[in-house]
Parts: sequence; C-alpha cells; structure tokens
Amino acid sequence: MRGVKILERLLYTIPIMFGVAVLVFLFMRMTPGDPVDIMMGEAGTIAPGEMEQLRKEFHLDEPLHVQLYLFLSNALRGDLGYSYAYKKPVTELIAEQLPATIELALGALLFSLIIAVPIGIWSAVKQYSIVDRVSMAGAFLGVSMPAFWLGILLILIFSVRLRWLPVTGRIDYNAGLQVVTGFYVVDSILTHNTAALVSSLKHLLLPSIALGAGAAAMVARVLRSSMIEALRQDYVTLARAKGVRETWVVLKHALRNALIPTVTVVGIQVGVLLGGNMIVEQVFSWPGLGRLAVRAIFSRDFPLVQGVVMVYALTFVLANLIVDILYTYINPKITL
Amino acid sequence: MARARLKVIASVALLAMTLPLIAACGGAGPTPTPEKVVVKETVPVKETVVVQITPTPGPKRGGTLIVGLMSPVLSLDPADYRDRQTETVIRNMFDGLVTRTKDNQVVLEMAQSATLIDPQTWEFKLKEGMTFHNGDPVTAEDVKFTFDRIITEGAIEYPEPHTAARKGLIAPLESVEVVDPLTVRFHLKAPWPVFMQMLCHQQIIPKKYFESVGGTKGFIEKPVGAGPFKFVEGKLDDQIVLERYENYYGGADDLPPVGPAFADRVIFKIIPERSSRVAALQAGEVNIIQGVPSYIVPQLLSDPRLQVKTCAGTRPHFMEVNVKQKPFDDVRVRQALNYGVNVDLILAKILSGYGVRLPGILSPFNNFADPNLKPYPFDVEKAKALLKEAGYENGFSFVIDVSADNKELAEAIAGELRTNLGLDVSVRVWDWAVLRPKLLAGERQATVGSWGDSAFDPVGYLEAKVHTYVEGSTYGRGNYSGYSNPRVDELIKAGEVETDVAKRHEIYNEIQRIVWEEAPMVFLFVPQEIEAAAANVQNWSPSPDSRINLHDVWLSQ
Repeated sequence: MRGVKILERLLYTIPIMFGVAVLVFLFMRMTPGDPVDIMMGEAGTIAPGEMEQLRKEFHLDEPLHVQLYLFLSNALRGDLGYSYAYKKPVTELIAEQLPATIELALGALLFSLIIAVPIGIWSAVKQYSIVDRVSMAGAFLGVSMPAFWLGILLILIFSVRLRWLPVTGRIDYNAGLQVVTGFYVVDSILTHNTAALVSSLKHLLLPSIALGAGAAAMVARVLRSSMIEALRQDYVTLARAKGVRETWVVLKHALRNALIPTVTVVGIQVGVLLGGNMIVEQVFSWPGLGRLAVRAIFSRDFPLVQGVVMVYALTFVLANLIVDILYTYINPKITL
Repeated sequence: MARARLKVIASVALLAMTLPLIAACGGAGPTPTPEKVVVKETVPVKETVVVQITPTPGPKRGGTLIVGLMSPVLSLDPADYRDRQTETVIRNMFDGLVTRTKDNQVVLEMAQSATLIDPQTWEFKLKEGMTFHNGDPVTAEDVKFTFDRIITEGAIEYPEPHTAARKGLIAPLESVEVVDPLTVRFHLKAPWPVFMQMLCHQQIIPKKYFESVGGTKGFIEKPVGAGPFKFVEGKLDDQIVLERYENYYGGADDLPPVGPAFADRVIFKIIPERSSRVAALQAGEVNIIQGVPSYIVPQLLSDPRLQVKTCAGTRPHFMEVNVKQKPFDDVRVRQALNYGVNVDLILAKILSGYGVRLPGILSPFNNFADPNLKPYPFDVEKAKALLKEAGYENGFSFVIDVSADNKELAEAIAGELRTNLGLDVSVRVWDWAVLRPKLLAGERQATVGSWGDSAFDPVGYLEAKVHTYVEGSTYGRGNYSGYSNPRVDELIKAGEVETDVAKRHEIYNEIQRIVWEEAPMVFLFVPQEIEAAAANVQNWSPSPDSRINLHDVWLSQ
C-alpha cells in the first residue's frame, strides 16, 4: 500500500516539474538583460552582424511562444539545450557539477546533525543550565551568522593562519584519484586510495562547517523545544515511575516523539543545503551547481539557469517526499 | 497528502519567484572579462614593478606553478570562446603563427616569416620541425584547417552546429590557401591594417588528431596543441592541469628564452571570490593570482613571502551624466562636475594610488592620446562659478545608478560633490544587466563605470563610447551619457578607414578636444592591473592583455 502511495506521489512531480519549467522560462525572459549583449562585454570591436548571428543561433530572435515550445519539446526528450557560455549541453554540465554539490550538502548535513542532536537533547534535559544557555546562544549566533562571513573567517583561521586546511577546490591534483562516481570521498574509499580520502575530507571540512552551521543551529533549537515538550508528557512520567533508566526514557520515549518536527526541519534543510550553497561554493571555489548557477544568472545563460533551477526544484520535491515517508515510520499514526 | 503537495508547490514557486530577484538585486557578479583587440600601431606600455625580488642566479627547471584565475575557463577549443581567462589557459597549450610581447609588439611565433604579398594577401612560412603534443608534425594543412573551422559558418558541430566565436575577431579573412607543406597564404576580403595584431588571438590545432577523435567533442575532452604545455586533466569550472611538453619547438625567437618551459606542471585553479583568491596565495596554495584588489596590496607587501606587480590598466573609468536631461543638458554644469571632484584624492583613497588620471576620453596609454590634453584641475571656486552661471547656485539633486562593482567609487564621487559643491547626490546599486538597457534608453541621470581599451587604439572604443547611439549596431554601444555630436560621429567614421597615422592623430586629437570641452562625463582614471605571486616565482610579470604566459616562468626554490 505504501509503495503504491509513493509511486502516486512520484507521479505528482511530473506536473510540478512542468510548472517549474514554464515559470523559470518566463521569469528568465522577463528579467532585463540581453545574454548576447552581456557576452560581448564592455569593450571593443565586435564584427558587424555578429550579435544578430548569435541571437539566431540561440533562437533568441524567435517569438517567445516559439522559444517556449522549443524548450519544452526538447526538455521532454531530456535535452535541456546547451549553455551559451560553455557551448556544452546543459545536462552534461549539471551531471559534471552535481556530485560536488551533493557531497558538500551531505557533508554539511552530517556536520549539522553531529553538532545539533547532542546539543538539542542535552539542552532539553538540562534546561536553563549553563550548557543550555551557552549552546542556545551559540545556536542563535549560528542562525544569524552569514555563511559568507563564516567561510572567510574559517579560511583566515584554518588556512591562512594555521595552514591546516586548504582554501579552495575538492582535492589535491596529485592525490591520483580515479573518479568513479564523482563523489570524491566515496571514490577514494572504492579505489582504496588513502591519500585521496584524506585530501578530499580535508577539502570538505571547512565548506561543510560554513554551510552546515545555519542548519545545525536551526535543528538544535527545534529539537530542544520539541524534546522539552515531549519530556513533559504523561508517558514520560509513567516510564520514570516504572523505574525505566533515565537515558532510556530520554532516548526511547521522548526523542522518538520529538523527532517529527525535527525531521521536518531537517528535510527542509536538505533542500536548503542543496539549493542554498551558492555563496559557500563561491567562497571555497567549490566546483558545484551553485557556482554554476550564480555565473549563469549573471550572464543570463538562459538554458543553464533553467536546467539548474529544475534540478533545485526536483531536490525540494524529493526532500519533501522523503520527509513524508519518514513520518510514517516514526509515527505509524501518520499515513501518506 | 494535499497539505504536503501544497507545501511542495509553494516552495517550488517561491524558488522560481526569487530568481529574477536574485538577478535584479544582486551585484554585478562574475561577468565575463571582455577583450578588445584592434591595434593599428603600438607603443611600449609602462610597467611598474612594485617589489623587486632579488633575482636568484639562472633559471631552474622543475616544480609546479599554480595560478588562481578570476573566472571559469569556458572552453578548451581555441576557436570557440571570447573571454580573457579562457585565452590565458588556451595560449599556454596552443601556439599561433604570431604572438605579442608584453609591450604589445607583434612577433613571429610558429611562423618563420610573414610577407605581405599584396594588400590583401599575407604569406606565412612555418618553422621546420614543430610538433603537436601527440608527436604529429605541424603543417600548412593544420593552419588551413584551423582557420577554415573558424571562418566557415556553422562549422563547429558540437553541441549544435554553430559558427566559431572567434570568427568575429578575424572577420575580413576570406580563405586560407596551402602553397606547400610549410607555406600558407591568407586571402583577405579587403586590406586590413590590424591583421597581424588580430592574428595573435588565433591558435593552431592539429587536423589529423582532431579528425581522429571524431571532432569537437572528442577534441575538447583531450585537447592537443603545439604550445609549451600539454593538457593532462581538468574540469573547466574547477582546475586544469598541464604538463611541460618536452619537444616544444621553443616559441617566439624574439621572446627569449627559447626552448621547453621551465615548470614541470602548471595548474589553473578557478577562484572567483577575490578574498578567497588572496587567501589561497597567502596560504601557499597557489603561486600566482590575478585581479588583486588595490586595498589589499599593502598587506601583501608586508609579507616577505609574496610579491606584487602591476601593469598598465586597460579600463578608463568615468561618471557619465545624461546630457539630454536637466541639469546636465548645460555644458557648464558638466564642466563644473569635472572641476568639483578631487579625482586624485579618490585615486589615493580607493585605489591606494594604483591608477593614472584620465586626461580626457582616451586613456593616456592609448596610442592616439593627445599629449597636450591635461586632466581638469580640481578647482571648487571655478566649479561653483560655473554652476552659478548656469543658474544652479543653490545646487540640485541627482542619483548615480551603478553596478555593485562601482558602488564604492560612486559613493566617493557623491561625497565629493556633496562636500565641495553642495549637491544632493545619492547612489543606487543595480545588477548591471538590468541597468544597462535603462542607461542606453536615457532613463537614468548618471552612472559610474568603465570601458575596455586593451588594444590601445581608439577604433571600436570611441565608436562605442561617444558616437551617437544607434540601436542594434556597434555605434554608441557604451554611450551612457546620450552624448551626440555630428562632428564627432563624422570624425569617428573617418578614423575607421584612415590608414595614414599622422592623419589619424589629427582626427583623434580633434575628437578628444571636443569631448574634453563638452564633458559628457567626469573623467576619472585608469586603474592598474595588479597581480601577486609567491616570492619564489621568477621571470613573471602581468601583461596588459591580462594573459599569463607561463612558458618562461620558473620557481627559485
């Protein structure tokens, strides 16, 4: 039954993605700025007729509805067009950059959970203690601190001053990594390359912290408040009265029930981590989708922006679906 | 379920809606660095060495040079790109028939000789014994193949058939003829005095190899050239690794040392964020970086492990005012603005002095800059008198609309005008792509910006900046003041076809005097290009066309 429901939900993504495609197409065209003009830049001689020729090659001389038709009919065949700037198919560019972005998002998620879950639980159990106050103040800082600033700060301390960790990129060129999946950490484990594993983890660490700090703070605060809520429930008092060990009460009885709002927040954060990493990727020169998107937006590389936004949209849709599925496992009362 | 679906749609819609916002509110982010390449004559370009590292004896082989680039490399196909960063990487892997020295002289590279047979035909003899990175000899057939691919419409077949992006840089070339295995002739549609300068921007690819890998797609995955470094691996948006080509023929005879490169390996890393680029240099992760902000130079200079070098900049900066609107329709007001801004102070404060005052519309480095023209002096009394004469003794208010890059500069000018002349000036920041059409349509009052002049020639530059705006043409493409003077238009057109250098000087001197007098803009400065490197990087210097030629660079430790 659950399988059928999941399939049904997956089918719903089709009209959603169609809507996204149309919206992005229209919004990009409504945004002022001519891609060909930007491409030719703020300088010098260009050959007469060159701009018209480019417009023709990019089909920008066609009426809007014709362009939309071309875009949608090609998209149905899995062809998202080719990037004006890179002269490469958009799908290929995205496929090249996506693993880097997912790896960074997972790194950030892992970092935020490692930080947030113990802090959230601890703060709830020891409410109003020093630990609680300090960690909640830290969480407040984490939420308010811009990732850009935190990133630069981390670079200055750990790279420039201490020289412990690298500033840019995903791996050292001489690590000799054989790329299999595009996820460098996974690849180095698969190929038993310790040097590459160390190098890729070192490169991953600072961007993960910069990207994950906000999420960590958010999750910690939500988990704390739902834990406090849960710890006040009658079944917790009952469990304690029965003489169940306190650790067991907290982890088994309270935590499980406190997880529902937490999972929701984590789900949204996954989308944010995947789609909101533009700044962090820019700061750490992380060769991912976010950096590609930033460049594409400013150069009005329409096909590339459309492609990247559709990937982001799909990420949100799937993250929400996964959260909804997780609900049913955590709390059997909830159905899809 | 319905709730969940709604949530999904809402977040997706929100995401889609924020897009134009990002574009509209954001600063001018990484825009492609444009290039400008028409030169009719050349002058040596002054190069200031800020820190002279004591030279260690003799060049040394070995080591890895890592360069932090400002923006992504867009292609590894020498026929299909238009930006400078890409050219930097490509020209370390591919050589051309001719190249350019750091002071903008054209010298022979792969060509042994170049002869102008008649005004429309050039003949090139290739050096003997040159090979591509795969060992194949370089022949006239490769040269013909390279240029046919560039000039033939729709010749680039991947990802969809289109015309080479570099065709526009050699538009008058009609055909290339193979005379014998080492001799080619270039036939032009019309005499073209800048042919040799423009040829520097075209690099030769191997025909046989290109065909053996099935065309463009295969070629850009593993490009093969005849330059000092060969391609090893790399992703365009991340890093590109090159290795020394041991059988390199040596490069231009006029650019010693001639022979294989010194460095074993060269890595180009893409680091668009400038603070990160500087941090990467400080952390020892890269050896050379481009695009160093001037404010950070004192900090870099205080570090003995680093060196900073500058060279002539190519981007004159102005504040253009809308001459079609009050109060800027009055020439006295525009002159008053020029007298009323202390440009030297701004230069010192914002660029830490790394720039040169602009005497008029042309950069002082331009080959046709009028040496008799002097920058407007800073004279508040004169400015106030001019404003009074124009009937604005109580001042007026206006808004300077700029991209994020120029915010600081615009704020400084606004501050100057407020303090010195009592004008009510404010600054508004836009995404450049949004602002530009509004400026061209004459819908704004003033803007601060720059225009590239890396060829040091007025052709193309004046036509874009002070010719009357003609929609859809190259004329007035960067004329944000709405300036229009029939005499100037006429002179610009005359300069484009004039081949006599003395007459060109006359023409351009007249344009410069008119524009200085009518002042459709406040003439500011040309910032210098600043690059930095680790102290052990030897024989390196930035070049005005922002190429980083690593062939002769070596590491002392």
